[in-house]
Amino acid sequence: MAIHEISHHSEVLREPGRRLMHHVGLEFVEKKISGGGHRATNAGLSLTSMIDFLVVTVVFLLMSFSTSGEIPIAKGVTLPRVENAEDMLDAPMVAINGSQILVDGVSAGNTGAIESSDRLQKIDELFNILKAKHDLWLSTHQGKPSPGVVVLQVDQNVKAIVVKSVFQTAAFAGFPNVSFMVDIIPRSSH
Amino acid sequence: MGGIDVGTGGGKRRTLDSEINMIPMIDLLMVTISFLLITAVWTHMARVNASAQVPGKEDPTVTPPPPKKQLHVEMRTSDKFVLLWKTGNTTINSVDVPRQDVIVKVGTTDVVRFPDLADRIEAEWKTNGEHQLAEDKDFDTAVLHTDNKTEYKFIVAVIDAIYKAKRDLTVNGKTERVTAFNVSFAVN
Repeated sequence: MAIHEISHHSEVLREPGRRLMHHVGLEFVEKKISGGGHRATNAGLSLTSMIDFLVVTVVFLLMSFSTSGEIPIAKGVTLPRVENAEDMLDAPMVAINGSQILVDGVSAGNTGAIESSDRLQKIDELFNILKAKHDLWLSTHQGKPSPGVVVLQVDQNVKAIVVKSVFQTAAFAGFPNVSFMVDIIPRSSH
Repeated sequence: MGGIDVGTGGGKRRTLDSEINMIPMIDLLMVTISFLLITAVWTHMARVNASAQVPGKEDPTVTPPPPKKQLHVEMRTSDKFVLLWKTGNTTINSVDVPRQDVIVKVGTTDVVRFPDLADRIEAEWKTNGEHQLAEDKDFDTAVLHTDNKTEYKFIVAVIDAIYKAKRDLTVNGKTERVTAFNVSFAVN
């Protein structure tokens, strides 16, 4: 009985080596897998190049990662592009699109009256909102001088008279330093 | 599956031919890439500074400081810019720069540039600028004057041209390149 078992196992135990799917009894399957004269359908996938690619992608994305997040641009505003600019800062955002003035997304007047009159005007709604923001800043930062900075998001086709009116209104409300938000382009060789 | 072949163990010792499971590593890389792609910011915004030169009431109790030499950039006609060095109301010198708009269409945006003006302003600063030393913490001022009809993209292009002039600034032993001018926008 014991001798019979050993002889049985000797058929199962074989020398190690390349024997891919050869134990499958079905001949046509074996032929299919090993190619049967044609190119083998059982192809190996090299993971090295894939991992290399993933690592390079991760490194690139980590390098370009920004914690400050994206600054929302008001609808209908196409920003001008410049070469010489500085990094953005955190300040109240005044947006001027074709017809509307918005402060941090809240409506603060429209530009129609200014454009039609072609005269420099103080925009009362904008002034009140900016003054409230300025006063709030002063009350929360006791004893510190206000930086007085406001960021203007202005559509590239807006007329100078509108920009001047908003500029003047902001200055009267306690924001004499204005930063124009722009889209940056690489410096030309010029 | 990827693995490291370090030969076979002899006798009854544990085999040295072990395989590293790559699946968790690839999963981690995939999740990291997904997170970074979702949170990526592709548009980089920037700013150009300008202070307001707004006419206001004079305080009789405060003695105004002596007027400084300033560069006034006038953009009132469609054919030329006028560069004026002024101290108070006194004009020191005046230069006309022919206006040559370089407009490049990028997508839906018109990118406006004034390279000739930028070069001329840089040359003017090198000749007449008062704050050129790296140790000098003050800056020369350029005041921009425009008419009311000018479109914003041209105003920004002129500010960009003014900011092309650069100088060294040393603060606490560290020197960096900064813009030569502070820009004021004349609201009148």
